[in-house]
Amino acid sequence: MAQIPHKRKEGLYVLEYLAFLAVTPAVFFLCVCVGSVKVPLGDTVRLILDAIRGSDISGIKFASIIVSVRIPRVLSAALVGASLSLCGAGMQGLLKNPLADGSTLGVSSAASLGAVIAIAFGITVPFLPFAGTMIMAILFAFLGLLIILSLAYKLDSSLSTNTIILIGVIFSMFVSSITSLVITFASDKIKHITFWTMGSLQGNNYTHVLILCGALVIFGGVILLHARELNAFAVGEDNARNIGVNVRRVRLTILICVSALIGVCVSIGGTIAFVGLVTPHMTRIIVGPNHKKLLPVSVFAGAIFLMLSDLAARILLNPLELPIGVVTSMIGSVVFIYIFITGRRKGK
Amino acid sequence: MNAKKIIALIMALAMLTFVFCGCAKKDNAPVSSSDLAEQTPPAEEQTPDEGEPADTSVSVIDMLGREVTLDEPASRIVALTAADCEIIYALGAGDLLVGRGAYCDYPPEVLELPSVESGYDTNIEQIIDLEPQVLFMSTMAQSEEQSKQLEDAGVHVVMNDAQNIEGVYSSIGMIGQLLGKQAEADALIADMKAKFDDLKNKADGEGKTVYFEVSPLQYGLWTAGTDTFMNEIADMLGLVNIFADVTGWGEVSEEQVIDRNPDYIVTISMYFGEGPTPIEEIMSRPGWENVTAVKNGAILNLQNDELSRPSPRLAEGAQMLYDFINEAK
Repeated sequence: MAQIPHKRKEGLYVLEYLAFLAVTPAVFFLCVCVGSVKVPLGDTVRLILDAIRGSDISGIKFASIIVSVRIPRVLSAALVGASLSLCGAGMQGLLKNPLADGSTLGVSSAASLGAVIAIAFGITVPFLPFAGTMIMAILFAFLGLLIILSLAYKLDSSLSTNTIILIGVIFSMFVSSITSLVITFASDKIKHITFWTMGSLQGNNYTHVLILCGALVIFGGVILLHARELNAFAVGEDNARNIGVNVRRVRLTILICVSALIGVCVSIGGTIAFVGLVTPHMTRIIVGPNHKKLLPVSVFAGAIFLMLSDLAARILLNPLELPIGVVTSMIGSVVFIYIFITGRRKGK
Repeated sequence: MNAKKIIALIMALAMLTFVFCGCAKKDNAPVSSSDLAEQTPPAEEQTPDEGEPADTSVSVIDMLGREVTLDEPASRIVALTAADCEIIYALGAGDLLVGRGAYCDYPPEVLELPSVESGYDTNIEQIIDLEPQVLFMSTMAQSEEQSKQLEDAGVHVVMNDAQNIEGVYSSIGMIGQLLGKQAEADALIADMKAKFDDLKNKADGEGKTVYFEVSPLQYGLWTAGTDTFMNEIADMLGLVNIFADVTGWGEVSEEQVIDRNPDYIVTISMYFGEGPTPIEEIMSRPGWENVTAVKNGAILNLQNDELSRPSPRLAEGAQMLYDFINEAK
């Protein structure tokens, strides 16, 4: 699975890259124009232009809907999708494992355990309302990843697909049971926690967008800069070591970035399954396994995937909202099994 | 390769179970099924003839249509739902309770009773251990097997799940009969009816609109649509629920709330004593500044389930909503 085709021309890559660059804003625009409340297209465009120019648009109902509610939400969806997809692509490369992802390895469950503990025991940072859940989510995501990987190393130092996935599933179930346990003990806040675990991109404002954006730029940027090392890992850890990659340092760096990104995403949008698993695969089918292409294109593909899923969640049952996890899991499960079947055929 | 296949299969199954579990959990969400509301059997029909002292037996038909007969009014009872506990205390029969469901919280005395698991986690052993004669539970998530186990242990199971105000009267009547508190029950019902009638007569919401918020924005906006107590009481006060097109409880989109522009907002979010209060939080939401209720500060926070529970306190909740609207006018 780890051959890197050298035949493909770089020119093609630029074209594909440009295509994704163009599609993303188009999808963004579509998602801003379509929503549960119908706003005429002309009004939407005019409002956005006015808002950019800084003219006074307060007092207009559609302005609140488009500028204060819909745009931050679509932006959050795009950023969460991009982050989760990049994390998935990075982890799949690092672990040489096509099924590695925050949700299959239990990192997302660990992050939500951290957030649930923060809610249940009222862990807050003064003056920063969401910092408590966010820090706990990041911390637990990292701890979770450490536990999974050290267990996997102990059992099987080659970190084979089977071992990691099996441990991930078991760990994920274990963490979920602890989450239930915490919920049992904190029965007075059960309503809060229940609503939180359902996850929602509703109510995200520009502060959330800024946090997500910052996290993606910093941690996502670091992952992107390690594309060359990830290519080396894809061939094999020994190979990476032989060509001069500091295996230990690179692995730790990427793991820290992945857990930070997943922690931020989970604390803002709840656990959204399968984005990190599915989009890198679709991307790989299109651009091939070279991480120099795969990673940046995954960012855009993830953004597109989650923006469209969120659009479906917003409008399918209007005026009701569908939990976004339902949409992504439905598509995700089907693609997941498809990958297994086709992957097995290739293996024969 | 073979091992890989097996693991692949296990993985796929695990994922599927995960997905389905996820779906099942969603059912846990407060979605009221309207078909439960259909049957609210007349409980008061079989009033025992009090003229004959020889026959002390009481008999009612519970909300699943099953007949429950006791030789004499019950003196050891367990109630699993918060509403039933409230009714029992309101009938002055709190001393008959020997146990309560984990989420019963009103009146405060109820917290001193031994607590047992309720709802999906109902624990039959815990209940049998308390040796009640009668167990009041809701129809939600109770299996035939569970109630049979209890009946075999000599516990009379009474299903009680009122879905509207009429249903609350029936459940008060039914509980009153089983506990030998018929007179108190009649008085309580009459009192509630009088309060509601009074409000109905003097209230004039002028067709103004109201939005009921069940959970705050950061967890997704859950609201109460038709077939909920909140909607019924809004109707009574001449108010229009902006989400009357939603049945039961549901997560609605923020854009819709802004678009439908409610005159009043009622939130039942709890306040845990830190950060902004639920009202402050609503006032500070970006994009909501043009909503009439936010502009006028017409937001009511009911923190103690006054409008979300089939208990006698619904009348108080209705009164609070009425006072709030009058003040906001």
